Amino acid sequence: MSGKKILIVDDDEDLLRGLSPRLEANGYTVKYATDAVSAIAVAVREAPDLVILDLGLPAGDGFLVLERMRALANLVKTPVIVLSARDPADNEKRALDAGASIYLQKPADNHEFMAAVREALGEEVALSTFLRS
Amino acid sequence: MTSEVSERIGTTGHLLSPTSSTLRPYSSGLVDESETIELSPSLREDLLNFDAWGGILAAYGRTMRVAVALTDPQGQILGECHNPQPVWKVIHEARCGFHSGCPFCITTKPCTAVSDALITGGAIMVHDQAGLTHVAVPLLLGKEHLGAIVAGQVFDQYPDALLLERVAKQFKVPPQELWNVARMQRPVGSAILKASGDLLCALGRAFLRERYGAILEAKLAQTNGRFRLLVDGVKDHALFTMDSSGLVTSWNDGAENMLGYPESEIMGRSFSCIFTQQDSQNGVPQRQLQMALEKGRTEDEGWRVRRDKNQFWASVNITALWENAHTMGSFAIIVQDKTEKNKIAIVLEEARQERVSLQQRLLSRVSHELRTPLTAIYLFTTNLLDGLFGVLTRPQYEHLTLALDNIGQLKSMVSDLLDVTRVQTYKLSVEPEHISPVRVITEVLGTCRRNAELKNVELRSDIALDLPFLWADPARVRQILTNLIDNGIKFTPKNGTVTIGSWPFSEDSGFLCLFVSDTGCGISPENLDVIFDRLMQVESNTGSSRSGLGLGLYIAKELVSRHDGRIWAESELGKGSTFYFTLPVFSLARLCAPVFAAPELTGGSVTLIAVDVLPVEEGLQGQILPEVRKVLESCIRPGQDVLLPLMKEAQPSEMFFILAWTDAGGCAVITTRISKSLQRFDNNSKLNPEISSTNMLVGPGDSREAQIREVTTLVDREVQKHILAKGKLK
Repeated sequence: MSGKKILIVDDDEDLLRGLSPRLEANGYTVKYATDAVSAIAVAVREAPDLVILDLGLPAGDGFLVLERMRALANLVKTPVIVLSARDPADNEKRALDAGASIYLQKPADNHEFMAAVREALGEEVALSTFLRS
Repeated sequence: MTSEVSERIGTTGHLLSPTSSTLRPYSSGLVDESETIELSPSLREDLLNFDAWGGILAAYGRTMRVAVALTDPQGQILGECHNPQPVWKVIHEARCGFHSGCPFCITTKPCTAVSDALITGGAIMVHDQAGLTHVAVPLLLGKEHLGAIVAGQVFDQYPDALLLERVAKQFKVPPQELWNVARMQRPVGSAILKASGDLLCALGRAFLRERYGAILEAKLAQTNGRFRLLVDGVKDHALFTMDSSGLVTSWNDGAENMLGYPESEIMGRSFSCIFTQQDSQNGVPQRQLQMALEKGRTEDEGWRVRRDKNQFWASVNITALWENAHTMGSFAIIVQDKTEKNKIAIVLEEARQERVSLQQRLLSRVSHELRTPLTAIYLFTTNLLDGLFGVLTRPQYEHLTLALDNIGQLKSMVSDLLDVTRVQTYKLSVEPEHISPVRVITEVLGTCRRNAELKNVELRSDIALDLPFLWADPARVRQILTNLIDNGIKFTPKNGTVTIGSWPFSEDSGFLCLFVSDTGCGISPENLDVIFDRLMQVESNTGSSRSGLGLGLYIAKELVSRHDGRIWAESELGKGSTFYFTLPVFSLARLCAPVFAAPELTGGSVTLIAVDVLPVEEGLQGQILPEVRKVLESCIRPGQDVLLPLMKEAQPSEMFFILAWTDAGGCAVITTRISKSLQRFDNNSKLNPEISSTNMLVGPGDSREAQIREVTTLVDREVQKHILAKGKLK
């Protein structure tokens, strides 16, 4: 178990409740925030290894969070996976340009999601995830 | 003048009826007889209007001391003037009801002087019963007999008393009165009369000509004036003319109103000033004139510019006016301001777009909003299924599996909705690659099999294993196939079959035709045309309680058409349907097409540049290689050089090939640019690019096709050679 810390930023608490067990079952510690302002605060306090970020958030949006994170020394290199219901055609490029590593559209397939988490954390990716597609 | 007067005097002093053949007029006609002039009755009348002739005839009579009259072709007097010969007057007054072809003849027999003059086209001199002489001069215009001038009524010697007495008796006038007036007259010699006949002939001819010209000119001026009035009266159309080079030669009030240029300012200027700057720069004015020349006229609608630089929506009609069959004369232009009409169209279009956009926003919102709860349901279901909260009982597992299937259906519907909004906002993207159709079909069959098994429908594959490679977006091809297969399964009853296969598509060897057929309920002919429309789903009798959103075929059609392919269906009610679609076959020749568009295509040097970027860490390939591709794209001449696609199935993806229609010198420029750009892109030198190039000489070739074949063969060979040399062929 890696024990890495993952911060989920999403205003949908059901998503937090749904995602956490899978991440925890894979050995990660899960923290969460439900709006843009607390997301920055939690990120500063917890210094997560990975942030899973929704784009539509109260008190700002995911892009704001990305921008703020990139301005903070201890968060500048933290990988971010954007997990949003928004159309990637409109948002993916912008999110990647703003510093996100991966863009996933909800609902993301569990395999795909876990592979993205491992990739973003720079962990070894199981061969099986390549073969699947 | 050497002509002679025809004189015919009967032995009895009566005028003889001359025969035409013996007549020899002493003066030629008025106009060239070969000239054909058509005269309307009103023009005839106008030509012989006595008011116009009176002055000149009176002057002649006064000078020559003779009577002069103007007659019609039958000899009826149209007008007379200056009659110093009272003899004629005395007798003429007595001569009631007497008809003669000549008004001057004092004779009881019909006189043909006028008609003779007209037939012969020359002056005819006659002596009448009373010993008086006169001359008839024809008035001819071309072959038209207009009338005659008769002049004379003079004695050529002192009057003969006996003759006068006889005439007085004959015409019942007092002989003494006749004698009194006759003896007062001064004789005029025939030589003088003859000469004056000549003069009169010339005079008549000249005056008739002049009058004819004057009348025509007046008529033309009148017509022009009317036309001008008409043109100027048109206020809501700009009417103007231009010479053959497009310089304005006339300009009506409507043109001034509409376009703002006063006539004085625009005359002699080019009409291109009414075009937008962009149109002028693109040579639109010249092109339109050229088109009018070729086709006779052109019609066009578009933006034009007024003098104050305001634009308006104009309907423009240009007509070429030809001087004769070979000489271009000028152009006539009619411009109509349609801004108002167009405004209505614009408003309607805006309303339509707003409606569509509202629909888009709604669909997009629905798709977006459904995703959040769907994600939660998916997560909770899979958490349970994956045993995150303990082992499940068999019924629990089964129920959750069914829930997951339903989630899958919902997911695809939500995705379909998103794709529909993408179609209409032009965001449905297709990124073609070099792909193996067999592999894609095998993958799709794998994912659809479960669905088929659930419905107890057999899923059969009937594809040839040697299908050509496609130039298509693999994800989109999967989507098309999945849509069609799921559709087939949905409408096929238990124990039916859904077959996927390939069809030798003979219409175009550049396309591969695939089909999906089912043994379902079929589609009626009237529905075959509409099944690909949005939100269209034919009423089915499969008893299926759920049939989806009816977007699958619409999306499939859009995806196929974005690959430049075609999709269609054949069906028989109760027996089943077959959906065919075509996708482009990978063709190096097609990709090389830009190279062949080079204008100097006469054979020469083609260079194949190979760029190897190695080694790349396995995990980073997916991110770095597309970036490298972008860098390379920026180094080539767009539209002239071709960056070959990654041939994933045939070679390692770390090799890029560029095809450029250039020689070693040009190639050096490109390779330097590539190496510098790659260095800038990758300052850690991780990519370690190796750039090599091969020059190939291509002959001018018998045809373009032959040349394309030659180049593609050469390129194929070089690419294979290069891959083999690097020992990387998988």
